[in-house]
Amino acid sequence: MAVCIAVIAKENCPLYIRSVPTQGELKFHYTVHTSLDVVEEKISGVGKALADQRELYLGLLYPTEDYKVYGYVTNSKVKFVIVVDSSNTSLRDNEIRSMFRKLHNSFTDVMCNPFYNPGDPIQSKAFDSIVSTMMVQAC
Amino acid sequence: MSVPDYMQCAEDHQTALVVVQPMGIVPEDQFFRIYKRIASVSQVSIRDSQRVLFIRYRHHYPPENNEWGDFQTHRKVVGLISVTSCTTTKEWPQTSDRFQGQKEVFGSTLYDSRLLVFGLQGEVAEQQRTDVAFYPSYDDCPDVEKRVEDFVESIFIVLESKRLDRATDKSGDKIQLLCAPFEKKDFVGLDTDSRHYKKRCQGRMRKHVGDLCLQAGMLQDALVHYHMAVELLRSVNDFLWLGAALEGLCSASVIFHYPGGTAWKSGARKPGVSSAADAGKRHRPGALTTNGISADTSTEIGRAKNCLSQEDIIEKYKEAISYYGKYKSAGVIELEACIKAVRVLAIQKRAREASECLQNVVYINLGQLSEEEKIQRYSVLSELYELIGFHRKSAFFKRVAAMQCVAPTIPEPGWKACYKLLLETLPGYSLSLDPKDFSKGTHRGWAAVQLRLLHELVYASRRMGNPGLSVRHLSFLLKKEVTQSLENYTSKCPGGMEVISLPDGLKLPPVSFTKLPIVRSVSLLNLPVSLRPHKVKGLLGQGMSSASPFIYSPITMHSRGDERSKKIDFQWVQGDVCEVQLMVYNPMPFELRVENMGLLTSGVDFESLPAALSLPAESGLYPVTLVGVPRTAGNITINGYHTSVFGVSSDCLLEGLVGVKSSGCMVEVVPSLPRLQLCTSLPRSAHLSSEDLSTSVSLRLFNGEMQQLTITLENIGTETLNTLELTSKNLSTKEKLFGEFLTWDLQDALSHLPLKSGQSVSIPVNISAKLDFSGQENLLHDLNDDGISVTGLPVSSPLRQVLKPRAENKPVGSDMLEAVLTFKYSGGAGQVEGYSRELSLGVRVDVEPSVFFTRVSTLPATSTRQCHLLLDVFNSTEHELTLSAKNNQDLVLHASECQRYTHTHTQTPPSLEGRAKKEDRKNEKGKEVKSKKRKKLIEKASVEGVLNQLILEHLQLAPLQWDVVVNGKPCDCDVIADCRVGDAVPLEVKLTNRSKSAVGPFSLTVVPFQDYQNGVQNYDLQDAVSFIGSNTFYISTVKPTENSVCVGALLFLYTGDFYLNIKFQDDSTARDLPPAWFCLPSVHVKAQEPVEL
Repeated sequence: MAVCIAVIAKENCPLYIRSVPTQGELKFHYTVHTSLDVVEEKISGVGKALADQRELYLGLLYPTEDYKVYGYVTNSKVKFVIVVDSSNTSLRDNEIRSMFRKLHNSFTDVMCNPFYNPGDPIQSKAFDSIVSTMMVQAC
Repeated sequence: MSVPDYMQCAEDHQTALVVVQPMGIVPEDQFFRIYKRIASVSQVSIRDSQRVLFIRYRHHYPPENNEWGDFQTHRKVVGLISVTSCTTTKEWPQTSDRFQGQKEVFGSTLYDSRLLVFGLQGEVAEQQRTDVAFYPSYDDCPDVEKRVEDFVESIFIVLESKRLDRATDKSGDKIQLLCAPFEKKDFVGLDTDSRHYKKRCQGRMRKHVGDLCLQAGMLQDALVHYHMAVELLRSVNDFLWLGAALEGLCSASVIFHYPGGTAWKSGARKPGVSSAADAGKRHRPGALTTNGISADTSTEIGRAKNCLSQEDIIEKYKEAISYYGKYKSAGVIELEACIKAVRVLAIQKRAREASECLQNVVYINLGQLSEEEKIQRYSVLSELYELIGFHRKSAFFKRVAAMQCVAPTIPEPGWKACYKLLLETLPGYSLSLDPKDFSKGTHRGWAAVQLRLLHELVYASRRMGNPGLSVRHLSFLLKKEVTQSLENYTSKCPGGMEVISLPDGLKLPPVSFTKLPIVRSVSLLNLPVSLRPHKVKGLLGQGMSSASPFIYSPITMHSRGDERSKKIDFQWVQGDVCEVQLMVYNPMPFELRVENMGLLTSGVDFESLPAALSLPAESGLYPVTLVGVPRTAGNITINGYHTSVFGVSSDCLLEGLVGVKSSGCMVEVVPSLPRLQLCTSLPRSAHLSSEDLSTSVSLRLFNGEMQQLTITLENIGTETLNTLELTSKNLSTKEKLFGEFLTWDLQDALSHLPLKSGQSVSIPVNISAKLDFSGQENLLHDLNDDGISVTGLPVSSPLRQVLKPRAENKPVGSDMLEAVLTFKYSGGAGQVEGYSRELSLGVRVDVEPSVFFTRVSTLPATSTRQCHLLLDVFNSTEHELTLSAKNNQDLVLHASECQRYTHTHTQTPPSLEGRAKKEDRKNEKGKEVKSKKRKKLIEKASVEGVLNQLILEHLQLAPLQWDVVVNGKPCDCDVIADCRVGDAVPLEVKLTNRSKSAVGPFSLTVVPFQDYQNGVQNYDLQDAVSFIGSNTFYISTVKPTENSVCVGALLFLYTGDFYLNIKFQDDSTARDLPPAWFCLPSVHVKAQEPVEL
C-alpha cells in the first residue's frame, strides 16, 4: 500500500499530504514536490484536442531507488500523488488506479462541503479515514 | 578516465582539443587575458578546402583523459600552447627545456605546439622560430590571434593527413587494433588472425576515421564511416565501440540538425559558418574521391539516408548509453553521453525523456568521487533539469549540491558556496525573499519544504559569518509565522530596514513584521473637544462656495465622494498631540513585546512619539494609540507604522497590508492655536452630562442662594491668546427659573488680553438658583379657598369654579439646573486662518428647596391703600432657620415647620410702564430669608418670585384711583368726617386714571344709610339727609393720567352717624374692566349739633 498520499491544488500548493513514517515526512515532501515537474510535463504534453477525454491517471511519474511515484490529475487540475514502496511488487497498476479513483471520490465529497473554502488545506475526517485505509499500516 | 566533463555536448565531437597552459610563474589574470584571446579563435576556415576546423580550448586537462583519445578523437589533446614569462636571456634555455617537458605530457597525441614568451627582448627574441613567439609584454602582443590561427591551420594539416592516412588504409593490410585504456590488457594473447578480430579492428578503425572526418569538417563522410562502423562492430558484439560509433553517428546528426548547437551557452558558435547544410553542399561528390575506402559515400542520397532523423538520434543515444552501461570503466563516457542526450532532448522539448535520461545519470556510479566533483555533478544535474523545465527537480539537486558543500566530511566547509547555491534554489520552491510577493500568494504551499530551506539559509548565513543575513532570513521565517528567537542575533546585529546587497548582486529586500502584531484597523482620532479647531463660519462659507459654483450638484458630490473617502473631515492642529488608534492583536503563542512603535507619515513635518507595548499571548483585539505632533500645517497622510520586534525594525505600510480597515488616512493640519487650561474654585465633578464638555463642576445650593465661582484660565500653549468670548447656555429649560442663572463680568478678564503663554486670567461667575418650588395653581386655590376677599372685593373670577383637591404640604424634592459655559478663544497663526477653539465648562447645580410658601392670602387692612399679606412659610430644610423680612421681626422656623407669617403691605399705585415695573415690585416684595444652620453659618437666600402675577394682581391698587373728599378732608375707611347739622357738606369725588386706556363715561350715585351695628341698615333717610344738587354724578371719559372731579353737597338735618355708599353704575355693558377697579371707599360722616357760637 501507499506510504505517502498527497493532494495538490491547481496552483501546486499542497492541500493534503500524509505519509506513514512520520519522521521522514520532509523526504516525502521533497519527493512529491519534485514529482510535480513530471506531472506538469505530462499535462502539458497532452494535446489540447485530447484534453476532454484525457486519461486522468498519469501512471508512474518516476521511480526512485526506494519508491515509485504515481500521479493522477483531475479535470480541474488538482493533482493526486501516491508514493508506494518499490519493494512492494505485488501492487499492480489496476490497484493504483482504483486507489486514485477512491481518492478522487472522497476528494469530491470534501469539495461538496459548503463550509470548505477551495484552496484551504483539507481537514476532513472522512477524507482522512479514506486515506488511512489506503496507507501502509505503520507498525 | 575518472573526470567527467559535465559541459560536454554533441558538437564537441567535431572539435580538436587544444590545451593552453601557463608555464612557470604567470600572473593569473594575465594568463586568462591571453587565454581569452586565444580561445576567441574557436573556429578557423581553412583556406583551400572551404572547411572549418573547430577548436576546443582547455587550460586544464587531465592526462588520463587524453588516453581515451583513440576511443574518441575529440578527447585527444592535439595542440599545446604554453604561455610563459621570461625576462632575461639567461632564463631562456631553462624555459625552453620546460616547454619540452610540458610537451611530453601529451606527447603521444600532440600534432603541434606553440610557446608564447612574454617579456623577453633582445637577441633571443629576434630569432625566427615557428613554434615560439616572443612578445615584449602581455599588453603588447597584437598578433596572438594570428599566431593561433596559423597554429590551428598547422593542426588541420596534420589532422587531414592523418585522416587521409587512416582512410586509405587498405582493408587487406594489417589494421592496428585501437583500444580504450582499460581494454589493453584484455586483448593480450588474443588470436590476432581470426576473422572476428580482424572485423573488430576494421570496425574500430572505421569509427576512428569517422571521428577524424568529423573533426576535419567532413560531416558527410563521417556519417558514412560511422554507419559502416556500426555494422561492423555490431556483428562482432564489440559493444563499447559500437556505443562509441552510435554516439558518433548521433553527434554528426545533431551537428547536422542543430547547427546552432545544443549547449545552452551557444553564443560562442557562429551558426552561419558551421551550417551543416552548407557543408553538405560544399562537399562535392568529387571531393570525396580522395576517400578510397568506400565508393558509395560519394552519392548525394547518402546525406538523407545516412543522417539520422530526430527520433533516431534519441534512439541511438539510448542504445549507445545502454552499451556503455555494460562497462564499469566507461562510466564517464556513459555519463557524458547521457548529458549530451539530455541536451539534445532539451532542444527537442522532450522533457520527460530527458528526465529519464537524467534519472539514469544519477545512478551512474563513477566510483569514489571527491566532494568537489559531487558538488559539480549535482550542480550540473540541477542545471540540466532547469534546462528541461523541471524547476523543482533542479532546485532539489541544487539544494543537494549546497548541502554537499558543507558535508561533514569536508574539512573546510564552503558555507558561502552553500549559501549561494541555496539562494538559487529559492525560485524552484516558489519562495521569494521579497515580502512584497508575500501577499500575492506565491508563498502558498509546501511550507515544510520551504521552511527547511529557510532554516538552511539561516544556518548557512550564520556560518558564513554574516549575522545580518541570518537575521534577515530569520525575520522572514518569522514572517512565515514560525517562531524563532531572533533576539540572540539581534543583540549582536540589529536588524535594519536597509536592503542588504550580496556580493553577487542579489538584493535582499527588508522584511517587515507586518504580522507581528497583526493590525486590524487604523483610525485617526479627533482631538479632544476642548482642543478641536472651529472654523469661523463666514470663512467656511467662502471656502465652500469657491469649491463649487453650484449650490447643489449631484455630479460634483459624487466625484467628491472618492476624495472624501480618503480625507477625514476633522482637523488636527499644528503643535498639538494627535492620536491614531490601531487595533492590534498578537497571533503568537507567546507574549510579544513591541518597542518603538510609531507612525510613518508624509506631507507634514511630523514628530512621532514612539510607544512600547506588550501584548499577551494570542491576545484579542487590543487598542494601541500612537501619538505624534505635527510640526507644520498642511495635509498629513498616515502611511503606516514602524515597529521594533525582537530587535528587528520594520516599516509596515498600510497599503501593503491586507485586511486593514481604515477610515481614511489623510487629515488636514491647521496652524497652531493657543491652548487654555481651565480650573475652577470649585472641585471638579466626574459627572459629565454631555461628552462635549471638557470639564464640569457641580454644587448644591439652597433655593435663592448665590455663590461665586472663580474660573481661572491659563494659557498652556505656546501661542498668544488674542480673543476670548464667553457664552452660556442653559440645558434644562426651566420655566420657573427666575432671574439669570449665571452672571459674569468679562471686562476685567478682557483687559488682560493678549494672554501670553503661561499667563492666566480669572473670571468670577455668579451662580444663583431661584426656582419656584410651589405650584402656582395651588397657591391660587389656597387663596381662593380661604374665601378671603382681597381688599374687600367680591372676587368673581371664573377660575373659582375649577376646584382641585388641595395638596397639603406635599413633599418637594431637589431640582437640578444645568448650564454650559463656553469659552471661545483664538490666537496665533490659527487665528489668521480663521480657526478658534472652544472650551466648555459644565455647571450643574442641585437646588435644594429652602423655604417656600405653601399658602398666600391677603387680608384687607383698614385702609384701602393697605392690605395684610399672609404667607404660610414652610421650612423644608433640615436646619433651623430664622426668617427676616424688611423691618419685621425675625421668625424662627424649625426644620420642616410651617408657620404663618403676616406682613402688612402698603399697596402702591400700579405703574404705567407695565411689566418691567412689576418686576421691580416683585423684587421689592421679596423676602429675605436668613437661614441659620446649626454650624452658625449664615447664608443669605433671597426668596423672590414666589408671588406670582395672579396674586400680585390682588395686591395691586386698581388703576382707577378714587379719592373722596368730604368737607375738604380726604376720606378713607377708618377716617370719620365731622360735619355740622345744617351746614352744607361739600362732597368731592375725584377719579384719577392710571390705566393705559381712557375710561368712562361713568355715573355715580351717592346713597346715604345708617348702620345700626346690628345688621340692620336703614336706607330710608330722605328726612335726615338732603342733597344739595344731584345725588348722581356723571363722569365723562377720562383719558390716561388725567383726572375728573365731581363736586356735590350734602345737608345733614339730624345728628348721627351716617355712611355714604357711592354706588357705581356702569352703563356701557361692553366694558370689561375688572370690578376691583371700582372699589370706592365708603364714607363715614358724623353729623353733630351745630356749635352755638
